[in-house]
Amino acid sequence: MALASASDIVGARKQGGRLVGLLLVAIPVILVAWMVIFPILSAVVTTLWQTGSNGVPAFTLKTYQFFFSDGYSLANLYLTLWTTALCALFLLVICLPIALYLRFAKGRLAAYVQGLAIFPLFVPSIVLAYAFIRVLGPNGMVDILLNAAHLPKIRTPYLTPWGPLIGLVWDHIPLTVLILLAGLGAVSDASIEAARDVGAGRLRLLWNIILPRLGNSILVAASFAVLGIFSAFTLPYVLGPAAPEMMGPFMQRTFRDLYDAPNAITQAVISFFFCIIFGLFYVRSIVNNQRNR
Amino acid sequence: MAEPVLIDRPRADWTGIGLAIVLTLVIIFPLVVVALWAFTNVWRYPSILPQEFGLRYWTQTLSRPDVWQSITTSVSLACSVTVISAIICLPAAFAFARLQFPFRSILFFSFIAGQAFPKFGLLVAIAGIFLGLNLIGNFWGVVLIQLVGTLLYMIWIPVAAFQGVDRRMEEAARDVGASPLRVFWSITLPQAGPTIGAAVLLTFVNTFYETEGAWLIGAPQVHTMPILMISFINNQPVIQYGAVLSVILWIPSFFALLFARRVISGGSFARGFGA
Repeated sequence: MALASASDIVGARKQGGRLVGLLLVAIPVILVAWMVIFPILSAVVTTLWQTGSNGVPAFTLKTYQFFFSDGYSLANLYLTLWTTALCALFLLVICLPIALYLRFAKGRLAAYVQGLAIFPLFVPSIVLAYAFIRVLGPNGMVDILLNAAHLPKIRTPYLTPWGPLIGLVWDHIPLTVLILLAGLGAVSDASIEAARDVGAGRLRLLWNIILPRLGNSILVAASFAVLGIFSAFTLPYVLGPAAPEMMGPFMQRTFRDLYDAPNAITQAVISFFFCIIFGLFYVRSIVNNQRNR
Repeated sequence: MAEPVLIDRPRADWTGIGLAIVLTLVIIFPLVVVALWAFTNVWRYPSILPQEFGLRYWTQTLSRPDVWQSITTSVSLACSVTVISAIICLPAAFAFARLQFPFRSILFFSFIAGQAFPKFGLLVAIAGIFLGLNLIGNFWGVVLIQLVGTLLYMIWIPVAAFQGVDRRMEEAARDVGASPLRVFWSITLPQAGPTIGAAVLLTFVNTFYETEGAWLIGAPQVHTMPILMISFINNQPVIQYGAVLSVILWIPSFFALLFARRVISGGSFARGFGA
């Protein structure tokens, strides 16, 4: 008797489960459809089909033509591309050695290094911006120390393109290290031991054994950095120059200060376009990871 | 024969020492400078250390009405978003982890759609929609835009937590006659709880620091702490106000550091970012 009733309950749950499941996930799914997928499609459509002078919506490229013929917009785009490319490069150069060290080192020192590398995750960007100004800004801590050593002051990176660059690199160190470290986990100790046994040096080991297996993780880390940096707002807004500005502050100013939504949305679509390859690659690797679990 | 070679021969770890020194200088030193400024009454250039330490600027900062208003706004925003997010996401996470329903896989992966696009561009596209709905400059408009930012992790992390629960224990409890609710309360929740707790905490902290959506949608009516901090940086000649606010702003991160670090250091967190 007890067994029969239990299986009844299970059966009832299975039939009702299909509807219950859909109902339980409905609200978040609707939110994603309405607030992520719809705005993206709408942004593309509204910038391409605009109401003309005769009041009829028609296909037009005029906001895009404006962007790509406007010197200031182009300067902003170049600055953004320059910052993104250099940030990705610096991140790789800085984080790969840290990740390699953490992959092979053990003990308290390694734990300390890992803790430090992850720490920026627990520092809000705006506090970082403030710390940056107090340290590297005019008469900041670095100037104070240089002055005490009777050396000339630095040319401060604050309010130059190097300001946001340094801040963004700092901000992205933790996740880049974590992504690379996860990738290095796939390089087995056995393959490294084998290569060492046949006399491979450190550089050869890195070039022939580790890097080929790490290629995918490097691309994931780079994609993550590109997506985060291309439209970064807070750090470029606070630390960067007033003109030219990066795409984030540029979009914000066009939208909120100039009340020019069509051009702001055009800028957004252009930033989608420049990131789409990285975005698709990034999403594909998240999906693959989830599936392989 | 010689003695067997020790594998772990103690040797100075120069790479580690070098990295530790450089990272301490680059990561910790700037924050120490900010903390120093927060407890400084007088610090004139070019002295290496403040001339006078003290709490004078804590009293002054905490007696500013704009500071209190921003604290209230930030806390109520972050609480609203976290509670709403938990209410709509945790049942959905349970459904994704345990129930069979049509389109389960594609709906599950729909939450990463937003990850393929640069975030601020996406926010501008959403703001374009909000313009027509009169949600610009509105508290609930900010709640909505921040809520969307929490969906992915508030669903994916708990799904992993629910899937990690030992199903045999649940079935055993059911076999001895426990009701489904009782099983959920006594078996499922205690096992999935810590990870879900970490997800809730991370959601709260991330929402608390979310600046871009709040600025784009909420300004100038909705004034959160990060936004006040931006105006302190840009317009406030008294350095200590910003330093004191930085220390206050860091408190939620401190709790995240205490409680959620294990989740973040674990491999599954990095895997969630595509590693």
